[in-house]
Amino acid sequence: MFDFAIAGIHAPLFLLMLTGFTVGIVGGFIGVGGGYMVTPALIVFGFPGYMASGIDMTHIAGKAVISTVRHRQLGNIDWTLGLAMVGGTMMGVELGVRLLNLTKGMGLSGVFLLAASVLIMVGLFLYTQIETHKAQKKINELEAQGKQVGRELSVSRIPHFFQGIKLYPIVRCRQARLVISMWVIVIVGIGTGVLAGFFGVGGGFIRVPALVYVVGATTHIAVGTDLLEIVVSGGYGALRQSMMGNVDMIAVLFMIVGAMFGAQFGSIATSYVRGPAIRYILSYSLILATVGAFLRLIYTLSGGQYEVLNFLAVVFTLGEMIFLCFFIVSLVIFAVRHRAGKWVPPWIPSLVVSAD
Amino acid sequence: MAEPSRTKGVIKFAVWGILSVIMVWYTWHSYSSGQMVTWYYWEASEDGYAVEANGLRAGTKEKPVALEVGTFPAIAGLQAVKVKKGDRLPQGCNGIITEKVIKEGKRAALEGNTLKVMVPTQVREAKGFKYKDTFKHKGVKTNPWSGVQNLFMVIGMGFCLGYMAEGFTDMLGLKLHKIKHYEGAH
Repeated sequence: MFDFAIAGIHAPLFLLMLTGFTVGIVGGFIGVGGGYMVTPALIVFGFPGYMASGIDMTHIAGKAVISTVRHRQLGNIDWTLGLAMVGGTMMGVELGVRLLNLTKGMGLSGVFLLAASVLIMVGLFLYTQIETHKAQKKINELEAQGKQVGRELSVSRIPHFFQGIKLYPIVRCRQARLVISMWVIVIVGIGTGVLAGFFGVGGGFIRVPALVYVVGATTHIAVGTDLLEIVVSGGYGALRQSMMGNVDMIAVLFMIVGAMFGAQFGSIATSYVRGPAIRYILSYSLILATVGAFLRLIYTLSGGQYEVLNFLAVVFTLGEMIFLCFFIVSLVIFAVRHRAGKWVPPWIPSLVVSAD
Repeated sequence: MAEPSRTKGVIKFAVWGILSVIMVWYTWHSYSSGQMVTWYYWEASEDGYAVEANGLRAGTKEKPVALEVGTFPAIAGLQAVKVKKGDRLPQGCNGIITEKVIKEGKRAALEGNTLKVMVPTQVREAKGFKYKDTFKHKGVKTNPWSGVQNLFMVIGMGFCLGYMAEGFTDMLGLKLHKIKHYEGAH
């Protein structure tokens, strides 16, 4: 147990490092900050709510830097795309927060916000699941025809529409191999930022699918580029939270040390899998987070009558971290086995790469 | 992409490892020396009484905790110092019981030179999760430079640890190539 002088609590350092480690794996692999998992975990450890959010946001900035360094080495970052989008995202988040305050002033209830965020997450989950399932099926078909399938295969037609918009300035994103109107990137940034700021859901959850299904980047590049964005947006959030006095830096320090190991594993694990595998895990994390939010929604609607629902929401949110880590580690193990020519379940070969 | 040289990996790991240690030491030293805590509890953002909130936890409506009000340079135990918005906080203070709270009289009340605290803890919610909220950190303004310092530390640590890990895998000779995103059917 460590005495946190600023937070004013005693909490075990080991658990903080473990939280950093697990969220590092998930964040490095699917390109999200993981705030929706860390804040409840910190509250369970005894940190006050305001401090849990501040510590979470600050550790996300550091963890994103660690993951970005590794994704840069793996060639998963498109700097033009990331930096063009980040301005729009920041603007969008600010707009979303203002819109939230405005609607709250007009009497919009928290129940509506929670219900709307659940609907958005479920919609994203369904689309990602259906599209990824089709992509996996196509990979199997192509491989059955004896064709060599690459890292990425997406069957979504939406990017073609957005790439066809000829509104100047047009930018060339070399790493993502995209020629696209700057306005599309900025507007996608604003859109995802507004949703993140308004509904309070993690930006990465929406941005990674948006980069894949709207802009047309490959999943690996979407993950790396989103982490680059999180460095900027998380850094800004860390500055704001620290200035408001919501951060205990020692808690952040230990979480970052844990995250260093996790983020390395998560980032390197992306080199073992194809795009659809990352999209599957992203969609599972979406639906698991949604179940947690749904339980809290029912708890709120019941007027806080059934405390067990709130407890289950916490268990679900924390269990999600462990489940996702288990899933990612299993994928890597199967990928290694597949490369060695050993037995793997029949659904694995279409999700992993034999060798680079 | 050229194979990463093991010698370069050793150098990279050593240099970024030393920088990581420096960053961690700097963070730890700033915390343990009290500098970070002093910057954290910097000045009053509201009129009220500066207190050491951890000592108030035993207070109940039946048996309130009694604080002696005075002009102490540092708060030790059950003491309170009257402060106005913008005043530097006395040492040892980690929260303010605001005038508003005292006027309401539900959680704390002023009786002569004694400040009685009846309800030191309230159950509140953040992002749908309940937690116990105390007077700690209430009415306190943090030194704005602590934001810059924290950002420097967190980004600095991220870079140092990230490049140290990269040096480590290079040193071990792990072949981490750039991913070939566009080979084969896609």
